[in-house]
Amino acid sequence: MRFKVAFVLLLMILSTTISTANPGGKGDAVRSRDCAGSCHASSSTNGISDAELDIQYPDQVYAGLLMEIQTSVSFAEVSSNNMAGLTLLVNTDGAKDLPAIDGWEVVTDPNGGTNNYVEVVDSFSPESMVMQSWTLRAPSNPGNYELYLAIQHGTPEGGIAMTGISGPKQVTVSEVPENLPRLSADWEPVNTRGLGEETVITLETENTDSATVEIKIGGEISTVPIVDDKFTIPAAVNPGVVEWRVILEGEGPTQTSPWFRITAQEAGWEIDEFALYMQGFALFLFSLGLVVLQRPTNGNSKERKYDNTEEVASQFGRIQSEATQAIETNAQGPPLPVGGLPAGWTMEQWEYYGHEYVDENGGGAQ
Amino acid sequence: MISAGTFHVITTELTIGMFALSGVAFLLCALQRGPESRESVAHWALLGGLISTPFAIISGVNAVQGDGIDNPILANKLLLSMISAGLAVGILVRRMWGSEVDIRHSSVGMISVALMLTTAGMGGEYSRGETLLLFIPKDTVMLFPIWASIALLVIGIAIVGKSTIQHRS
Repeated sequence: MRFKVAFVLLLMILSTTISTANPGGKGDAVRSRDCAGSCHASSSTNGISDAELDIQYPDQVYAGLLMEIQTSVSFAEVSSNNMAGLTLLVNTDGAKDLPAIDGWEVVTDPNGGTNNYVEVVDSFSPESMVMQSWTLRAPSNPGNYELYLAIQHGTPEGGIAMTGISGPKQVTVSEVPENLPRLSADWEPVNTRGLGEETVITLETENTDSATVEIKIGGEISTVPIVDDKFTIPAAVNPGVVEWRVILEGEGPTQTSPWFRITAQEAGWEIDEFALYMQGFALFLFSLGLVVLQRPTNGNSKERKYDNTEEVASQFGRIQSEATQAIETNAQGPPLPVGGLPAGWTMEQWEYYGHEYVDENGGGAQ
Repeated sequence: MISAGTFHVITTELTIGMFALSGVAFLLCALQRGPESRESVAHWALLGGLISTPFAIISGVNAVQGDGIDNPILANKLLLSMISAGLAVGILVRRMWGSEVDIRHSSVGMISVALMLTTAGMGGEYSRGETLLLFIPKDTVMLFPIWASIALLVIGIAIVGKSTIQHRS
């Protein structure tokens, strides 16, 4: 039996294969690069990607202000689903490498979220270059910084997880000029919206005398009027992305913001949570009630399992009654011999041992 | 600092491990085979699983991206786990009241374990899009109207109250 179990276990172990654990991706998230090893079996089973990775910064980057960077992926030979995972990092350590460590904030990732890891489906191939836009808020302290672009993807044959990372891409973050027209430091763009609803965006600016908003829909750029620092983006009929930017003018040099992207999505699945929780609690109590509905038929069975009182009592009673009968049977003893009690005997001794005397003396008692 | 996702893995494995152990022990109880300790193992493991269940739920809610329950699988997970927890508590209460571990008692215990394991399987479907449980509803949630839930709640309270009074008398 043991041999059979061991054989089955061995067979199961030998039947395992090394493969990409998540060929369909794991979804966008804030992730360190060590995920590339932990998510795809052992990091020792990963291959090295041939992709060329690059990051392009704007000409001027100001501390604490929004900026747009372009990441490019060239010569990537990915799996048949054309998916690649792109990660923006600040070092190659595999831990404590999130952009936030150095003060970067991902305001809008290529998929319209706020993650440093995104999964992109595009026309990756050894002949093409795929560009993606990220909107970041620069660190609030001026200085020199580095960003890295990492990639992970499958292979056309499958079975191996490919990973790669770019070299350090340096950028100088400058002090913000005092009179620079700009969006307020605490202003955040809207990234998503539902279908069929207009989006009203309120601009919060500093050192700005006038602002112009441009919207890019389907490659065409149009200007949108601003009323009381607010402007409206028309409702989207289908899921898609609308880009807009603002041109700020004031005493300082004119500033153009990065292109902000608003992704229109179909409304997510919704449920009346109160009704759900109420039903859950009701089902809990009802299930509990169903189980305890019928009272235990064999009460205290466990205690009685080891309780031998009744048996002991019956045995004791039986022994006691047998002893009593014996005493009663022998209480009178055999009939006395003709000459009365043998010499030296008492009546009590005769009652108990008289029958032995009778047996030894041949029934002389008669 | 440990993220909610990592903590959820720890608490989930605790919960599922204990429930699975309990399920095996209940199976042995139903078959009337195995070591004498099977009854104790079944109930204590069930209790351990129940204790760690709230931690798994809370860490799971915190680990989910987005707000609230925005996926049918999450809603079904909630309902199934509540039914499982109700059955498990009922089993423990019956045992505390001195019930014999017969085939019926063991079967309810196994059903409770099966529902909890199914709940865990739905977690795999939700997070990775993969599960061995192909029958799991992915788009459908059976949600009662409020009045039906309240009626069920009242019936449950009445049954539990009546059973408790009968037990004490």
